[in-house]
Amino acid sequence: MTWHLLDEDLRAYAARTLAAPGLWSTEAHLTACGECRERLAAAATADLRWAIDGGWARLDASLDAPRPGPVERLMITAGVPDHTARLLAATPALRLSWLVAIAVTAALTATIALFTDPVVFLAVAPLLPLVAVAMSFAPGIDPTYEIAVVAPIRSFRLLLLRCLAVLSATTALSAVASLFIYEYGLRATGWFLPSLALTMLSLLLSVRLGAGPAAVVVGVGWAAVVAATFGDRLVFTLAGQVGVVIVGGIAAVALARQRGTYDRHHVPHLSRRMS
Amino acid sequence: MTAVQADGLALRYGRTTALEDVSFTLRTGVTGLLGPNGAGKTTLLRIIATALPADGGTLRVFGHDPSTSPGRLAVRRRLGYLPQDPGFHPSFTAFEFVDYVAILKELTHRATRHTEVARVLSAVGLDDRRRSRIRTLSGGMKQRLALAAALVGDPDLVILDEPTVGLDPEQRLRFRELIADLGERKTVLLSTHQTEDVMSLCQEVVVLDRGRVRFEGTPAELAGLAAGRVWTSAARQAGALASWRTGTGLHRHVGDPPAGATLVEPSIEDGYLTLVGTDTEASAVAGGTR
Repeated sequence: MTWHLLDEDLRAYAARTLAAPGLWSTEAHLTACGECRERLAAAATADLRWAIDGGWARLDASLDAPRPGPVERLMITAGVPDHTARLLAATPALRLSWLVAIAVTAALTATIALFTDPVVFLAVAPLLPLVAVAMSFAPGIDPTYEIAVVAPIRSFRLLLLRCLAVLSATTALSAVASLFIYEYGLRATGWFLPSLALTMLSLLLSVRLGAGPAAVVVGVGWAAVVAATFGDRLVFTLAGQVGVVIVGGIAAVALARQRGTYDRHHVPHLSRRMS
Repeated sequence: MTAVQADGLALRYGRTTALEDVSFTLRTGVTGLLGPNGAGKTTLLRIIATALPADGGTLRVFGHDPSTSPGRLAVRRRLGYLPQDPGFHPSFTAFEFVDYVAILKELTHRATRHTEVARVLSAVGLDDRRRSRIRTLSGGMKQRLALAAALVGDPDLVILDEPTVGLDPEQRLRFRELIADLGERKTVLLSTHQTEDVMSLCQEVVVLDRGRVRFEGTPAELAGLAAGRVWTSAARQAGALASWRTGTGLHRHVGDPPAGATLVEPSIEDGYLTLVGTDTEASAVAGGTR
């Protein structure tokens, strides 16, 4: 045999990535050339060893990886990808201590509403996700805030993920608490749409004001609206709820339009610390 | 290869000037950032790490402009950053924390990510503590854990803000081994108060003082600034920038030596002191640096 196969063709053949017609001529040559068969065996062994070593390393790492905590396992069981579950597990407002505080507040407010006026619960419940969302993004509360800011993950995606998780948790807790005032019928669910709208508004304002101040501004605004319409319970009537949906919808559209601004590098609280 | 090119960077907080006309170049290797407290070191590191925008000047990191959204993303994909006060989620284990940072760095494939997390935990010597809750780790271990988080994903530019704080002497040596090895392939910028770290690790050093670059060169060149200005004598002498009794019983002085003084080889500390020791001394020397 006066010619031999190229190394790259042999490697491609060993990796089963060589396509016809090169594949046919390579196979034809291999049947006739002992030297190339030996080179193929060496190439295949090296590739195989690399694949096996890599496989062992990955298997080792997987076996050594600690088992996720109960919250993460619950999310993974529910179909959430493991990496998303871990991102959510780091959400400060999803820590047990915060969730207990939110549950206690919801239960207390519902109990007071039961003996006084349902509006007490309907007005306070929408503030719970507001507080929880602010806690999820406030620089002073998220201990890894600075690391997350300079990470390539899209801030807007992280924001929405955490927001969704926090909203789900507070909505579930408020829903349970609203059973205290079930005798008011459908009106007992009047907190739900405002909670979505207020969350959207605070996210929208957080770009300019920061998470904490945005939550305060929206919370105070909400309290003012509820107080101003307290006489006729306007916010919790059908017309009021439609108005809430419109405001929330506008805020959601505006939020989507300015999603790029969440990836800017301003870290307002860092500006005050120099060294 | 030029990794970072800064030209005339400036940043003001209200009436306070944090950085002014800061220019330097970073290449593959380890560069030390020295300077007194309040010199603007952390601010500068945050600007390069895309955590803060500069008010003025231009910055290019691997040719990308961090003031634009695509440029910032491109920089962040090649960056490892250890902040001055690294925070942790205390309920996470060491493994979970680094895994979390790896996810923030877009390593979503589980097996690949876990292999990488195991690699960096092993590199910082936390192999046996991977299942430990962070709240049970010592200060030095937490610092190494933060370093592991900075190194996950094999970044091309590693920015470390006072990384040796809290490390005992042995851990500091291990840290030097790790960073020296990293510096052979990557660009490392570390701010520190430890001149020994700079002397033993860094190919280049930048000295920042009151928001301005006072020196850019090699550690030997920094030490050389005090050439002819360090001497020893049997007794304390007034008028020196600094004067102290050494372990040998002799007094060592940095400043303007008297006639006939026994001059000795200056250290990097002497050069640094000569540079930022006093206003007048520093201005005089800064005029002679590149």
